[in-house]
Amino acid sequence: MQSLSHIGIIALNTFRESIRDKILYNIVFLAIGLAVFSILLGEWSVFDRAHVIKSTTLTIMSLSGLLISVFVGISLVQKEIQRKTVLTLLSKPISRVSFIVGKYLGLLGVVACHLILLTVVYYIILFVTESSPSLSLLSAIYMVFCEMAIVVAVALLFSSFSTPVLSALFTLGVYFAGHLSNQLLEQVQFVKRMGEVEGFGSVLMEKMAIIIHAVFPGLYRYNISSNVVHQIALPDWYLFWQSLYALGYIGLFLAIASWWFNRRDFL
Amino acid sequence: MIQIEGLNKTYHTGFLMRPKKALTDIHLQVPQGIIYGFIGPNGAGKSTTIKVLTGLLNFDSGKIQVAGFSPRSVKSRTRLGYCPEQPYFYDYLTGRELMSFYGRLAGLQGKELEKRTEWALNLVHANKDWIDRRLRTYSKGMMQRVGLAQSILSKPDLLILDEPMSGLDPMGRRDVREAILSLNKDGVTVFYSSHLLSDVESISDRVAMIVDGRIVREGSIDEITSSCSVQYHIRTGESSSNLSLPSGVKPSSQSGEWICDNAAARDVFIQSCLNAGISIEKIDHQRPSLEDILTEEIARAES
Repeated sequence: MQSLSHIGIIALNTFRESIRDKILYNIVFLAIGLAVFSILLGEWSVFDRAHVIKSTTLTIMSLSGLLISVFVGISLVQKEIQRKTVLTLLSKPISRVSFIVGKYLGLLGVVACHLILLTVVYYIILFVTESSPSLSLLSAIYMVFCEMAIVVAVALLFSSFSTPVLSALFTLGVYFAGHLSNQLLEQVQFVKRMGEVEGFGSVLMEKMAIIIHAVFPGLYRYNISSNVVHQIALPDWYLFWQSLYALGYIGLFLAIASWWFNRRDFL
Repeated sequence: MIQIEGLNKTYHTGFLMRPKKALTDIHLQVPQGIIYGFIGPNGAGKSTTIKVLTGLLNFDSGKIQVAGFSPRSVKSRTRLGYCPEQPYFYDYLTGRELMSFYGRLAGLQGKELEKRTEWALNLVHANKDWIDRRLRTYSKGMMQRVGLAQSILSKPDLLILDEPMSGLDPMGRRDVREAILSLNKDGVTVFYSSHLLSDVESISDRVAMIVDGRIVREGSIDEITSSCSVQYHIRTGESSSNLSLPSGVKPSSQSGEWICDNAAARDVFIQSCLNAGISIEKIDHQRPSLEDILTEEIARAES
């Protein structure tokens, strides 16, 4: 019970710290600007205007969430260590696990607020442009949130043992690998089927693609914008299973981050 | 309150992770209710020892108990207050908000939190206008006072302070000294490191001296200083440049003054002065100060 209280206090403090970060406002205003720009894209596009606006804005949500995780999230733990605020904090009767989980929830709160703000902007744009706003779009936004919840955990994991620059690169790497791993596996299997690569090379390529697909979180699962925009039905319980999948990876990443943080010396 | 037996700590530095021994076989006992000074030169291992005690650093080997628990356990920190050297805090908070943040982490809420905050700020003379300003505008002295206030907020049984008086003006040092004495009077055990040996001598019940990662002296101030021989300072009247100095006697930095390392050397020197017709104007005996002993220990370690 005491640990939950500590997590809450650290999360609130992290939230307060993050919303004072100027980079956050730059990203938020850029995202809102791009969302508004999607109206023009809809006008210029040869495709249906409503579809373009909807899918563009969902992509903006995902990318801006990634930028927040990378530019705000990664420095959170490092700032505590470099400014030595961690010395006073960890000398209090709180566990290092509470510290990591509190930091995670604080940053996730910032990402959630950002997505809520963009959702409001999104629906205003859809109403103004008469692009058939429907509640089903919320499921796509929820999936973006789940995806960001994983990315924030990845960012926190890397920032618990690496420098901000390296952490940013690693997090971006995991994000793109997570989005492309399925396509990579499909391509490799297709090439193998077609017989363009044979022998050991083919086996090695396929094994590597399988490993990448298995190890990296499958972030492609959370991109359901085409289903929602084109009203293609998702499998039953899709959101539930993907939420559980996200929780599994978040738990794993936070456990590794906490374990590593526990071993660390603070000079 | 603190028990350290055979503590060893090694840092691994650089790309090749070269080992560097920071603490070697440290043994310390800090009984409940005393003020314990921990002194030594820069890089001797004072902060390392303190960070091991507060659970911020892991250690290689040894047995440590802080308030009855291992420093690795969260429980050891429930009765512990700690202020690091040159404390840094979240500069976007005000001093009062910071106190509230740390108070809530220590389990305080509502009226109790307010009451404790007022008490802690008053004790370190920080309950002034500036406490409601953002921490980024604070001077070093203000930061040190807030640091000390946050460490006592939970009314700990054990207070560990790393250089609490460094960077403070004389008024600030006096306030911190008085705060430490006042807390100790209320039963708080204080373990602190300091470079300011005159302050250590004036308030500590016991002292440990650490040089190059090893404890070289431990005991009360009296025990430590009396373990060293008394020095005799003799001032002679006339020029005594032709005087041959017996062993154990050396000239002082002041002209016409001599330092005898022991009573025998003193007697031989006085006799030879009198034989040479040189008058003795003043004989003074001095025990070495902590500073003298520390300087001697550093020189010994370096040699």
